[in-house]
Amino acid sequence: MPKSEMRVGRRGVVTAGLAAMFVPTACGGGSGSGGGGEGGGGGSQTLVIGIESEADVLDPQVAGGWVTWRINRQIFEALVDEDLTTPSSEAAVPELTPGLAESWDVSEDGKVYTFHVRQGVTFHDGTALDAAAVEYNIRRMWDETSPQYNAKAAGQTNFIWTFVTDVQAPDPATVVVTMSQPFSPFLRMLAQGGNGSTAIMSPKALQEFGEDVADHPVGTGPFTFDERIRGERISLLRNDTYWGTKPALDGVVFRPIPDASARVAALRSGDVDMISVPSPDSVASLVSAGFQLSEGIPPHVWYLSFNMKDRYTGIKEVRQAINLAIDREGMAKNLLAGTVNPAYDVQAPANAAYVERTAEYSRNVARAKDLLAAAGLSGGFETTLTTSVDGSGQIVPAPMAEYIQQNLAEVGIKVKIETQEWISYLSTWAKGAQEGVGMMQISWGMTTPYWLYIVTSSTLQAPNGPNVGYYSNPELDAVMSSAIQATDEETANDLWRQANDIVTDDAALAPIVNDKAPYVLASYVKGFVSASEEWYDLRSVSLEDV
Amino acid sequence: MIAVLRRLGSTVLVLLGVSLIVFLLLQLVPGDPARAVLGAGATQESLAAVRAQLGLDKPLAVQFLDYLGGLLRGDFGRSLTVNQDVSQLLLPRLENTLVLTGAALLVCLVVGIPLGILAARHQYGLFDRISMFVALAGACVPVYWFGLVLVGVLGLSLDLLPTSGMYNSRNPGGFEDLLAHLVLPAFTAALVPLAVIARMSRSVFVDVLQQDYIRTLRASGLSEASILWRHGLRNALPPIVNIVGLQVGYLLGGVIFVEVVFGWPGLGQQLYTSITQRDLPVVQAGVLFVAVAFVLVNLLADAAVGVLDPRSRRAVRA
Repeated sequence: MPKSEMRVGRRGVVTAGLAAMFVPTACGGGSGSGGGGEGGGGGSQTLVIGIESEADVLDPQVAGGWVTWRINRQIFEALVDEDLTTPSSEAAVPELTPGLAESWDVSEDGKVYTFHVRQGVTFHDGTALDAAAVEYNIRRMWDETSPQYNAKAAGQTNFIWTFVTDVQAPDPATVVVTMSQPFSPFLRMLAQGGNGSTAIMSPKALQEFGEDVADHPVGTGPFTFDERIRGERISLLRNDTYWGTKPALDGVVFRPIPDASARVAALRSGDVDMISVPSPDSVASLVSAGFQLSEGIPPHVWYLSFNMKDRYTGIKEVRQAINLAIDREGMAKNLLAGTVNPAYDVQAPANAAYVERTAEYSRNVARAKDLLAAAGLSGGFETTLTTSVDGSGQIVPAPMAEYIQQNLAEVGIKVKIETQEWISYLSTWAKGAQEGVGMMQISWGMTTPYWLYIVTSSTLQAPNGPNVGYYSNPELDAVMSSAIQATDEETANDLWRQANDIVTDDAALAPIVNDKAPYVLASYVKGFVSASEEWYDLRSVSLEDV
Repeated sequence: MIAVLRRLGSTVLVLLGVSLIVFLLLQLVPGDPARAVLGAGATQESLAAVRAQLGLDKPLAVQFLDYLGGLLRGDFGRSLTVNQDVSQLLLPRLENTLVLTGAALLVCLVVGIPLGILAARHQYGLFDRISMFVALAGACVPVYWFGLVLVGVLGLSLDLLPTSGMYNSRNPGGFEDLLAHLVLPAFTAALVPLAVIARMSRSVFVDVLQQDYIRTLRASGLSEASILWRHGLRNALPPIVNIVGLQVGYLLGGVIFVEVVFGWPGLGQQLYTSITQRDLPVVQAGVLFVAVAFVLVNLLADAAVGVLDPRSRRAVRA
């Protein structure tokens, strides 16, 4: 506390001195007030967050990426929400909670979802939330024939609406969604964000602003939009008419600072109160300087997909041998300084179908060599691993790939690494593994077990879907299909765990690490919780003694 | 007059060439804008739909001509990723970059030219040797590194100045706030051009001071200050102005790194983001803005030389 006051004082002197030098020549215009810029005094409760990149559009249905959903979900809400006030350590999977739907009923056959829309909720523009508004939003994402249909929103959310056949609002408090078959992940998918989301926007704003609606974001959430200066700030203010628990903060400012060392410097100097993605080597010194480290266990897996069409990685024993040869513990502890956990299961721990296992693929070089010999490859072979050089959730992909390269060299596998910049790589990855490529890396994951279907279903083989290794297993497909159609959660989760076992035994994927999504906060930031998601709830956050 | 018209004509050709090259280069870079929008899980159908919405399914030539047509109407197109008018997106960024470039240029001129002149005046003296060594070192220092050192020393250890952004985030202030945020990035951006300007000013001045007329002026008993600042400077100025013009171009390119280190919301940072997102219209317009600024500055520098040096006017006419 005293230090920060001293800081304000010293900076104030410098600023005033500069102003004295320049203001007379600057036609005397501009700022009249003489006070130092910093702090704002008077107990202002504005949290400033240094974020890792410029945000995408503030249209929650269209926007991609976790960075943007962390902002959008403060302004917008979906029918179903998830409880992010409980830390990962207490809730491995965040519980689903009522959002803009006060409650819901699912028909016996699992095909009809009836949502009871929360009454008395208003959008930030004063219009009332009702069932018609919800229907209007769903049609924007799903109904090609509706005037408000948006191809981007549809593209982002298509996995959610796959089986939807009809949406109706029979009365102002009820929305009925009908599907062609049961779809057990539906509720959890409604609460997801990151690649689009189903958050509800004000129909009035959608009609009034059309194409430009992202510059006028109007939702129902705990914060309202204040202003956005691209590259500089997105500022939000507390929604004083919020239907739920109102935030303690007066406002939040999100400041994009793409350079990791600049972000750390901004935190140290007090320009921001909190940062995401600190560089791994800065964390220890920040903590010893009195900053708080907040980590969770979000649904994140940094993993390899094996190319099933490849002459080597198409062999099960080879895939198992690679899994056994990789030193996940060493990578997590030494290369990444403990900012990640080693991953042995294909599903992230923040997932109901996670299976805690280390036995199958703990490092065992001797066994890996035996397996290779059994496959007739005791002399080893050459293959290619593709990855990016940067990108969302990728941590430090190139050094991690090199670590794997060294591990595999020990069992005689010579790995060539091919890297590309993120967006180029995303396209390369989505095209699927090409000839000679044995493994493709990416980071992904969701809290819904349905994610496994997205990356391993035979119907979603690249380039028609994210199954980039062309994995095809009829037994797995059948189990996943039953899981999707299960009408009670326990049965569904049991089936998803079975699917998980099949993929693990087949070694179709090689999970490597789970990120802990570290945030570093100033000592006076209170109430921030790292829940098991890639995003956070800011309602409980406050600033002490500012 | 004809020379001026010819110059303007070639400027238009240069800009057209720049647009075409940037357009083609971005086609060569792998990566699909629709994929950049929709991410890893997108299906082929949704990608195709988004490509159609963005107009990316048209033939390349049509896309380029559409772009040029828009340009003539003053329409730079719409950003593919942030869905905003490109000019609306870039003009504020350009303004921020110009503020930073202007401040850096001011530092260059106010420090660089006098430094060079004084060094020339005391040729081979201690001041000359020290200042020129520092200038040489300055010209060799990576901007990125120098910025981080300034942040570390002045921003963090001494805690004198803010380290990032343009305004205070909690309480965005007016001119004072901007000024405080400007100091570190402006000095960082100025470093290399300042060093170049100082060294070039010195060598120009060393030449000038050896001219016969200077000897004549000295012999006629004029004060050293008058010789240096009145007669010497007037003759040394044209080449210095030319160098400064080129250095402004260097500054416009170099501020990209400075903007990244200091989180300055300028054109450079926006270009960087847009290139990584394959946001073609934004990249095209951004590069065009920089090219226009570069060409204009050099045009201005040439015009200034014409005003300062009657001989060059005669040369153009001839």
